[in-house]
Amino acid sequence: MAPRAISKAGDGDTVFAMPLRYGDDALLWAAWLYYEEGLTQSDIAEKMGLSRPSVNAYLADARTRGIVNIEIDPDKFRTLSIAQALRDHFGLQDCLVIPTDGGDRPLIARLGAAGAQALTRFVKSGDTLAVTWGRTVLALAEALDHPGLQDVRVIQATGGTTAKIPWTPEACAARMAEALNARSIPISAPAIVSSAVMRSMLMQEPVLAEQLAILAEADRIVMGISSLRPESTIHTSGFLEGGVQHAHYQDAVGSIVGRFIDARGEPVIGPMHERTIGIDLAALRRIPQRIAVAGGVDKVAAILAALRGGHANVLVTDAVTGRGILTAEGYKDAPRRAVPSQAPLPARNHVKKLINAPKDAVDEALKGALLAHERLIMALPDTPRAIVAKDGPRAGKVGIVIGGGAGHEPSFWGYVGRGLADAAAVGNLFASPPPGPILAATQFADRGAGVLYIYGNFSGDVMNFDMAAELAAEEQIAVRSIITTDDIASSPVESRAARRGVAGNVFIFKIAGAAADRMMPLDTCESVVRRANARTYTMGLALEPGSPPETRRPSFDLGPDEIEIGVGVHGELGVVRQKLISADESADLLLDRILAEMHPSEGDQVAVLVNSLGSTPAMELYIILRRVRQRLKARGIGVHSCLVGPYYTSLDMAGVSLSLLHLDPELAALLEAPCRSAALTLP
Amino acid sequence: MNAITNAGQTAIVEELAEVIVANKAWLSEIDGKIGDGDHGINMAKGFGRTAERIHGKDMTLDAAMLVLSDVLMSEIGGSMGPLYGLMFEDMAGALKGHNQLDAETFSAMLNAGLAGVQGVGNAQVGDKTLIDTLVPAVTAFDAAKAQGFAPALAAMITAAEQGRDSTIDLVAKIGRASRLGERSRGVLDAGATSCCMILTTLGHSVLRRLA
Repeated sequence: MAPRAISKAGDGDTVFAMPLRYGDDALLWAAWLYYEEGLTQSDIAEKMGLSRPSVNAYLADARTRGIVNIEIDPDKFRTLSIAQALRDHFGLQDCLVIPTDGGDRPLIARLGAAGAQALTRFVKSGDTLAVTWGRTVLALAEALDHPGLQDVRVIQATGGTTAKIPWTPEACAARMAEALNARSIPISAPAIVSSAVMRSMLMQEPVLAEQLAILAEADRIVMGISSLRPESTIHTSGFLEGGVQHAHYQDAVGSIVGRFIDARGEPVIGPMHERTIGIDLAALRRIPQRIAVAGGVDKVAAILAALRGGHANVLVTDAVTGRGILTAEGYKDAPRRAVPSQAPLPARNHVKKLINAPKDAVDEALKGALLAHERLIMALPDTPRAIVAKDGPRAGKVGIVIGGGAGHEPSFWGYVGRGLADAAAVGNLFASPPPGPILAATQFADRGAGVLYIYGNFSGDVMNFDMAAELAAEEQIAVRSIITTDDIASSPVESRAARRGVAGNVFIFKIAGAAADRMMPLDTCESVVRRANARTYTMGLALEPGSPPETRRPSFDLGPDEIEIGVGVHGELGVVRQKLISADESADLLLDRILAEMHPSEGDQVAVLVNSLGSTPAMELYIILRRVRQRLKARGIGVHSCLVGPYYTSLDMAGVSLSLLHLDPELAALLEAPCRSAALTLP
Repeated sequence: MNAITNAGQTAIVEELAEVIVANKAWLSEIDGKIGDGDHGINMAKGFGRTAERIHGKDMTLDAAMLVLSDVLMSEIGGSMGPLYGLMFEDMAGALKGHNQLDAETFSAMLNAGLAGVQGVGNAQVGDKTLIDTLVPAVTAFDAAKAQGFAPALAAMITAAEQGRDSTIDLVAKIGRASRLGERSRGVLDAGATSCCMILTTLGHSVLRRLA
């Protein structure tokens, strides 16, 4: 049992607020005071009402339990009971509560440091970050140092204020942009103008309109919360001039983003409203993450109002303020909820499958596909694994033959049709087709202009397609082979030729089909498809392994919280295994690697494929696509078209792959050319 | 005895198929660690189908091997289809026309099979492939054949097992597992394992017939 921390109520101005709950709190606080604030152990003992040996034991305990790790893991502070109570009560995304007292640094500087720590964990590449102004916001900006991101924009949330204060909106935004290696965007107007007429005139200025449009795209905002006391930021910034003005705001208890709110958090509309240039409360609510950094007993009412009104959904504050907010809200210490013990799920020996005899799965699925799409495709008589297009092949057109193992449905038969491939050879599960069906497909596709093979770079496929090409050459059929290598995770850039060919094949098949459909000769088709392959980049990650029908067991092991980055489409292990991350972090991880190789210039066009590896649902794919589009927009890259869905699967593997085709005008024209197949139809 | 007849040896290939089919799950499990986990499935499919086709027929060893080769080449695909398909085709070619199989004929068969594999793949010893089993096994057989057929077969079996086990400490340089780099170290190579199964089963089958 941890001893109780004792509140020294009679100690005048050194009010030490107890945590609401004990558990690890005392241990964490001791660690903070010692490591973050540099207090001696005797100081801590006195402040916390503990014996010095207890403090010593706490600190040792904190170290051995990995709580102290040079810096205190901010996650641990989220578990503090005040933070947890605030988070639960106000439905916050996150809440960080630091000790009110301790150390030489003023509270504002320490809140700034804590806010900077929080922001560092939230801000992502491609973000647009809005910033208000004030002492705490500037302290946060000054404590911030997080330069490793790409394409971040920092924008003022309001126009400028009097330069009599050092913490102006311009200063806060500029300092924060510098710390994030971001572009700083001002609002080129005063926050308060002399009249509503002046405001409407200014709002029509193109420069200001453009800046306000960027402000409307903000993903996050960092804001202070001002009380209405005479020395508060809102007063010193010149928002409330004279008692007459003040009379309009008698219901107001605080101010955020230069707007006034009452005790319930409702807007207080006064004469300043129509004279303020900057984000309003309605627009503020549309920003997904609204981080308020504020502390001090004088601010309790203002912060409480901001939380009640839902204006902030992340709060960084100190313990006394946090406790004050909870007390004012009538929060009672409820008995700790019992955490139900989670019994581990029983290990399953077999994955459930809708199959008949496992050995028949590939053939039965293929037969079903042929029936489902009987107007588009058929199997060659006597060669059931050679699937050909009913419409498309014609005299003088280069034949496109694709193929690979089964298990990637709708690949490969899904890309057979007019404007796409003329034929596909399908192998056994994850195994290249033998030369027989490839040769039959070749003979069918050859209409006198030669045949182009396109298949992913796997040793089995290379052997079998090469053997088929030799046999075709004996029959005087001109065959060229494009071995696709879009999977950037599978080999470093200097050995690109060793990479696997995966979901990016969809783009490459499309380009090839369109080139042939335009009756381009074999040489031209080959060179344009080679270019498409060189400009296609794919990277995937797996959440869960797939399981073949034969074994009905996962083809690899992945821990309950692990993901496999760079996984192959046959369940081959990827490049690295790591802890499960969010959709946005996953999208960033895949996209960052792709962009680092692609080196697109601003204004370039790409096509995007967000592909399910099998069992990941459309909902998750669209979440990923949304993030990819945000990032591409932030980078100034145009998106020509998007494909979202199970285009190139790996049985029932859960996970996603992201493919980008870096377009040029010719590739763009070929990509949008009409085609008609089971998996891809363009008018 | 220091030779067996070529005729009437359908059972040798059936015994091979039996071992491969029995080890289907194990081979797939090994493959799943660094490959795609289908090795056992595809091998069992090819060898199993062959066994169905030759069962009850009276065939020479080379004729039975040719059926196996055809099935592997034309119905299995993947990389193992061509690799083992060509290996058995060339092995059969070396046996063709021989009535008796002695140490010399068997050596010619092994070397032809090795050449067949090397003709289609380009792996070297140390790349963590079936070559790591096949090359030392053939070398050991040749080195011991002067002592007689049976000792040479025993030497081949031992060398094949050592070759298979050598792949544990290797980093894959070819095939799907090569993309894993250092992560491919510490597990057996599935091809080296199935090749060891083929050679040791073949060796024991012949040894039993020599005894």
